[in-house]
Amino acid sequence: MVGLVSAAGVVGFLSEPDQALQVFALEKLNEDIESVWTEVSGSIGQIEALYEDEKFSHRELAALVLSKIYYNLQEYNEAMVFALGAGDHFDIENADEYEETIVAKCIDTYISLCALHNPPKPASSTIGASESGDSTSSNPNAPPAAAMAMGSPTMPFSQAVLPSKSLLSRKDENTWDASAPGGGNAGVPGAHPHPLTLQNVTKKNLQSVIRRIFESCYEVGAYKQVVGIAVEARNMEVLREAILRVSKAEKSSKGKGAAHSGASQTDELMEYVLDICMNVVQERGFRNQILKLILELLNDIPSPDYFSIARCVVYLDQHAMASNMLRELIQKGDGKSLAIAYQLSFDLYENGTQEFLQKVMEELPESEEEKKEEPKANGNAVRPATPHPNEAEETDESTQLLSELQDSAGDAAPSSTILPSRTKPKAENEEQGKAFGSIRQILQGTKSIDLNLEFLFRSSHSDKAILNKVRDSLEARNSIFHTSVTFANAFMNAGTTVDSFFRENLEWLGKAVNWSKFTATAALGVIHRGNLSQGQKLLDPYLPKENANANQGSPYSQGGSLYALGLIYTNHGTNVLDYLQRQFKETQEEVVQHGGALGLGVAGMATGSEQLYEDLKNVLYQDSAINGEAVGTAMGLVMLGTGNVKALEDMIQYSHDTQHEKIVRGLAMGMALVMYARQEAADELINGLLDDADPALRYGGIMTVALAYCGSGSNKAVRKLLHVAVSDVSDDVRRAAVMSLGFVLFRKPGSVPRMVELLSESYNPHVRYGATMALGIACAGTGLDEAIDLLEPMCKDSVDFVRQGAFIALAMIMVQQNEAMNPKVSSIRKQLMQSLSDRHEDAMAKFGCAIALGIIDAGGRNCTIGLQTPTGNLNMAAIVGMAVFTQYWYWFPLTHFLSLAFTPTAIIGVDQDLEIPSFKFHSNTRPSMFDYPPEQEVKAEEAPEKVKTAVLSTTAQAKRRKLAKDRKEGRESMDVDTAPAAGKADAGEEDKMETDDVVDTAKVAEEKEGEGEGKDAQAKKKVEREKVGFEMENMSRVLPGQIRYVSFLEGGRYRPVKKPTSGVILLEDTTPEESKSLLELKARKKTTKPAAAPGMPGSAGNDSEMPDALRDLGLTGLGVGAGAGGAAAAAGVLTAIDEDEEGAEEAPVPDEFEVESDEEE
Amino acid sequence: MADKMVDKMDIDAVNGEKEEVKVGPAPNLPAERIIINNFNLINQAVDAFDARFTLRALRSIATIRKADNFAEAIAVGIKTAFPKPRDNARRVLEDMLPERVRTAPGAGSEANGNAKEQDIAEIAEVWAYLGVLIQVYLYDHQEYKKGANFSTNFVEKVRSFNRRTMDAIGAKAYFYFSLFHENLDPKPPSKQSPVIGIRPSLLAALRSAVIRKDAETQAAATVLLLRNYISTADITQDDLLVAQTQFPTSAANNQVCRYLYHLGRIRAIQLAYTDAHDHLESATRKSPTTGPAVGFYQQSTKLLIVVELLMGDIPSRSLFRQPSLEAALHPYFKLVQAVRVGDLQAFLKCTGTYEPQFRQDGTYTLILRLRQNVIKTGVRMLSLSYSRISLRDICTRLGVSSEESAEYITAKAIRDGVIEASLDHQNGHLVTVPAKDAYSTTEPSEAFHARIEALLGMRDECVMAMRYPMNKHRQEIAEAAKARERERELAKEIVEGDAEGDDGDDGGFEGM
Repeated sequence: MVGLVSAAGVVGFLSEPDQALQVFALEKLNEDIESVWTEVSGSIGQIEALYEDEKFSHRELAALVLSKIYYNLQEYNEAMVFALGAGDHFDIENADEYEETIVAKCIDTYISLCALHNPPKPASSTIGASESGDSTSSNPNAPPAAAMAMGSPTMPFSQAVLPSKSLLSRKDENTWDASAPGGGNAGVPGAHPHPLTLQNVTKKNLQSVIRRIFESCYEVGAYKQVVGIAVEARNMEVLREAILRVSKAEKSSKGKGAAHSGASQTDELMEYVLDICMNVVQERGFRNQILKLILELLNDIPSPDYFSIARCVVYLDQHAMASNMLRELIQKGDGKSLAIAYQLSFDLYENGTQEFLQKVMEELPESEEEKKEEPKANGNAVRPATPHPNEAEETDESTQLLSELQDSAGDAAPSSTILPSRTKPKAENEEQGKAFGSIRQILQGTKSIDLNLEFLFRSSHSDKAILNKVRDSLEARNSIFHTSVTFANAFMNAGTTVDSFFRENLEWLGKAVNWSKFTATAALGVIHRGNLSQGQKLLDPYLPKENANANQGSPYSQGGSLYALGLIYTNHGTNVLDYLQRQFKETQEEVVQHGGALGLGVAGMATGSEQLYEDLKNVLYQDSAINGEAVGTAMGLVMLGTGNVKALEDMIQYSHDTQHEKIVRGLAMGMALVMYARQEAADELINGLLDDADPALRYGGIMTVALAYCGSGSNKAVRKLLHVAVSDVSDDVRRAAVMSLGFVLFRKPGSVPRMVELLSESYNPHVRYGATMALGIACAGTGLDEAIDLLEPMCKDSVDFVRQGAFIALAMIMVQQNEAMNPKVSSIRKQLMQSLSDRHEDAMAKFGCAIALGIIDAGGRNCTIGLQTPTGNLNMAAIVGMAVFTQYWYWFPLTHFLSLAFTPTAIIGVDQDLEIPSFKFHSNTRPSMFDYPPEQEVKAEEAPEKVKTAVLSTTAQAKRRKLAKDRKEGRESMDVDTAPAAGKADAGEEDKMETDDVVDTAKVAEEKEGEGEGKDAQAKKKVEREKVGFEMENMSRVLPGQIRYVSFLEGGRYRPVKKPTSGVILLEDTTPEESKSLLELKARKKTTKPAAAPGMPGSAGNDSEMPDALRDLGLTGLGVGAGAGGAAAAAGVLTAIDEDEEGAEEAPVPDEFEVESDEEE
Repeated sequence: MADKMVDKMDIDAVNGEKEEVKVGPAPNLPAERIIINNFNLINQAVDAFDARFTLRALRSIATIRKADNFAEAIAVGIKTAFPKPRDNARRVLEDMLPERVRTAPGAGSEANGNAKEQDIAEIAEVWAYLGVLIQVYLYDHQEYKKGANFSTNFVEKVRSFNRRTMDAIGAKAYFYFSLFHENLDPKPPSKQSPVIGIRPSLLAALRSAVIRKDAETQAAATVLLLRNYISTADITQDDLLVAQTQFPTSAANNQVCRYLYHLGRIRAIQLAYTDAHDHLESATRKSPTTGPAVGFYQQSTKLLIVVELLMGDIPSRSLFRQPSLEAALHPYFKLVQAVRVGDLQAFLKCTGTYEPQFRQDGTYTLILRLRQNVIKTGVRMLSLSYSRISLRDICTRLGVSSEESAEYITAKAIRDGVIEASLDHQNGHLVTVPAKDAYSTTEPSEAFHARIEALLGMRDECVMAMRYPMNKHRQEIAEAAKARERERELAKEIVEGDAEGDDGDDGGFEGM
């Protein structure tokens, strides 16, 4: 017989006066409590009395028995309290269910207790701190008034006292946040014994138990668990201790000789903490606290992980630290440190704002006189010390600057020739001077922009056949269709500098009028985005002329060109801002002002420049409906993420004063931009805007939620959005609210489909549209199946704009996906094509289709849409681009903003001389897994498609129309037909040539073989011969999903300084003495080609030579291209390129450019 | 012969009825096919984390256990699930089957032939399912000793897996575990019975299930514990257990039935007849009245009848006419007849005759309490029949020995409110107060109310138990989309027809 059958007898002993008997009874009960607890539970009172009896010798035993009874009664709180009272009797090492449950309870209680003692800092004080930190650090020269205004974030609404009854009101947030880290039911009343009700003794015991748990965790090396508890409990000491312990353990193990495992453990833990801190912790104040701690500890650890530090530094805006770090690294002087310093600079550029980078650059050692001048010059260009600077001087300065930049950017091995002249005695040695020069260059972004441009150009896989198809399916005379073809072209070739489509389709281009012309001109900016060396030159024919003569082009092309200029210099506007500003101020033409405002906004993004802001404001006060929207948005872009209260005040004020809805909307968007990523700091504004009677302002409030909380996954933001999405009276606001879910949740794309599932079936088409966009934004580039399942039926929605949204969203999700990753991609492409050519499809949906086709092949199939950087930070330009893009609903030209979100997906290896060596790395996948979508397949697909459309269009009417057209246009229609074929052949060949060195030869051969054969045969072959793992050349496309399969060859010459991520990677050359083979820079050579178009000033100036029709377009520059292309049209495309190349020789770039700028004066 | 009753109740007989409908279409499948199909169901359950598939797999046990080649089928199942002959998991299971089945060559080759079955993952759930089949097999072949040993290890293993998807299978495993031990000698009423030994493991199972939120196992363990305590007449512990645990609301219907039945039994023994009556009534209403589960229905009806009699009510005659109850309830029918007329002689005779039956049903002690009721009923009959009757007559009619005791009995009856009468002590008469019209009291409405309440409760439970198909509305949306599509086609054709006439829309620059 096992144990007791009935406890009745033993329980009887408890009431005996003899202590020995009582102890015996307790011991007996403790052994068999599991089977007799039902009977003992009646005597709880007695046992408790024993426990409380100070004289009783076995109080702890009594406590243990009590704890077990309560545990069986499912009263875990009491069970825990008594278990804590049981002292050593309660053995946490004994891993039984009882002990596990109690320990879990202990940890929960500990967390809520700690969270209570370290409450989240009141939101306002946090804001105040960060605000003042911002203002002191970011704007040392800012006018005192602004600084004062920044002190009180509530200013804009201080006149109107707002009842803070909304969901975001501070009080709610506090209580909610306090419970948030506990997760689950930590905050639910009654779930825990209220921590304050625990007696001190119990608390002490609790602490010791927790300590024991931590110790045992340390022993087995489970540091992550400790860190997790510490973060949830907001306990900095524990966090610090855990990290110190791990490094100590590492050291001791190093002593034993197991260095590797230990070292990786510390790094791993730091990585983990950082990850938690950035992605899990939602509250900004606490996050800053953790980051500071990490930073502190990272510096203590002997071998610091510079990249983690860099991430913290960027987030905390500690520019001094960044510059110190760079300086130290360079002073070490060896190759590896140099490489790390460069890599750091690339990371800083990727993650930091323009403002931050500027600071870092200013703080770098002033080793060279000219170097010293440069940041100053930049600073002046942004905000001149005097409001009305001597213009000549300013331009002088800027020319100098431009030429300088031209030099550095224009030359692949920049410093060798120029540096000696620059280096002043102050430089410690030439080496270091050179290094600082390079770092500056990187921080300015020129280097990465250049590298990306090179990559995009050399591996552009855009399929002209698709574009031609789009053009043929859409009637160009209808402006919406014309615009949509423009967008498709712009997106497909974004950043590749391949603008041949325009040249080859002059007749089509000629149909652009008014705002279509504006859009078409601006498209050049998208295509040449990042072409810093030749951007301005390229656009020269369209830009407004200095001396207002009769030859001024159409204001639409002028405005468009300013906008294009901004797009080229996106987020990197130092070179062009003053030019743009001047043009913007000088013109009285509203359309030009419109373009100028957009250009200023894009180029001067997040500069926080007061000067720019003032200029924009002056134009805003003219109260023009045409430019007001653009100006409002531009104001926001300039002040992006600054939370500048003065700006907000102005904008609110004016949005209430003006009568124009457009202006209100522009300003609302602008306010949202000002609050970018401010999180809690934006709550006051959000509440204010959402309570407004004007739907346009409520719309702004929603966009503010979206931008302020973008990527935070904040529950309260989501709650707020969902609430508005179903309760607001305005369709616009509801649409925006649903859409904004995508912004808030883009870090967790998997959660969005579930959340919008019901909304996507709403009766309200606006909500449905919002749902499509939310999916598109959040799941962009993921190819997520759930999202596609939701979107596919919406492509057949009864409302045209919902279909439009569904198409665009599908394209955003499917960007860069191929058959192997997602089998649905081809059917979606097919559907897009089909809807496009369907005569009965609505214009809106067709517009969506065209844009979608552009997006899905974005940037020559080498770009994805990434709202976060490869290292996981928010990608500011991309988010802003996406947010402004969504405004295309009201204003088509804003569609171009989407190009800001395109991120090239490549691994670009750069050695410590910032040269691009030719080397191979390994991708452990089948080649077809992440291959480009087969081009020939598109063609093969198109052939039957064409037959099909032929069947469709062989209706009598279409034929008749074609006949009539033929008659009218003679043989021109034939040209249209042959052009695509020629283009295809050309593209195919060109691609072949280019891929030769990019892709390994086996693949190319395969491709060649596969070309002629059917799809099936090819697929079969691939399956047969493909083996896992292949080598890739430097600077080739590596998709985000592919990165984890990428490895660098063990014994290779080049070793990366950090784990491979997408983007620029610094390589350590293990054998620097050997001569290296570098990749030939093609973009540099080829980019002279587009430059040639405007580079024929003779013909550009000579209008009389141009056909009248072309001059009417006002597209003078294109006209030139047309002159070349149009004349050669019959001869085919190849000759046109030839001619261009000739032109290239005529125009050596840098000098020409300088001359141009001089002319501008 | 307690096991006979148990046998009737044990299987999921409560589900038997449904099973006939559901598995109906393919009853001809050989047992091994059903088992192998069930593997897929279980895999599905694990993948989809949906316990319903597991339940469906378990439901078919009732069918396959009747198959002649049950043992062979299990062997085939084991071979399919665990193709490797050296597998420890497989060995444990196969050891329980008879030698001839184990080595049957045909089964093995057949399993190997089914290439597509190869991919069945060797997951714990499948193993546990086969374990339950083994338990059933052993139980059917009365190998209690072997079964008890196997089950003890088996449930321990199941518990250690700590998997939510194991919940339903685990519940079954515990059920047989307990059942085997009940059949070991000495049988339960004895205090030496092995059932007492399994209490700690059942309690541990209950604790684990509560912590892990395994509702099925929790319900099963609770019920088994109640049954265990009742079998050794540890009513106090039983009562304490009921008082200190919560029965999971999401438990399966059959477990709820059992729980209510046991509860009714405890309450009846504790003299709380009203409670007992409520519980038993729900239990009988919830239990299916046909199919293999009829044993449980009979058993609970028997107890219900006794409790009703103890409460002073007489069960309606129609109850005994039900075909499924008529034969089984014959002794109780006699009993009711005796009590109804208050015939003490008939009552004593009845209890004497059917004593073994009553003892087997576990109702004998309760029935003995009925003697009082018989007398009371007798007194009531007399008081209804006679407005005035002498105590002597009462003596003769009720078979009471003396006038004093008759006086005592009637006085008690008056005090208990059984009859409305007064005693004329001088003349030795019982004088009845004329009966009032029942319809002038609230009694009919109260009865009506009770009935309505019971029905409403049942309805609520039904509503709560309903499952709504996922994404049903999707179909409608798809249909609407299709209709739109057709409409568009139509519009297209119309436009196309029109287009024949005029020369298209050269209208010019729309929207520029």
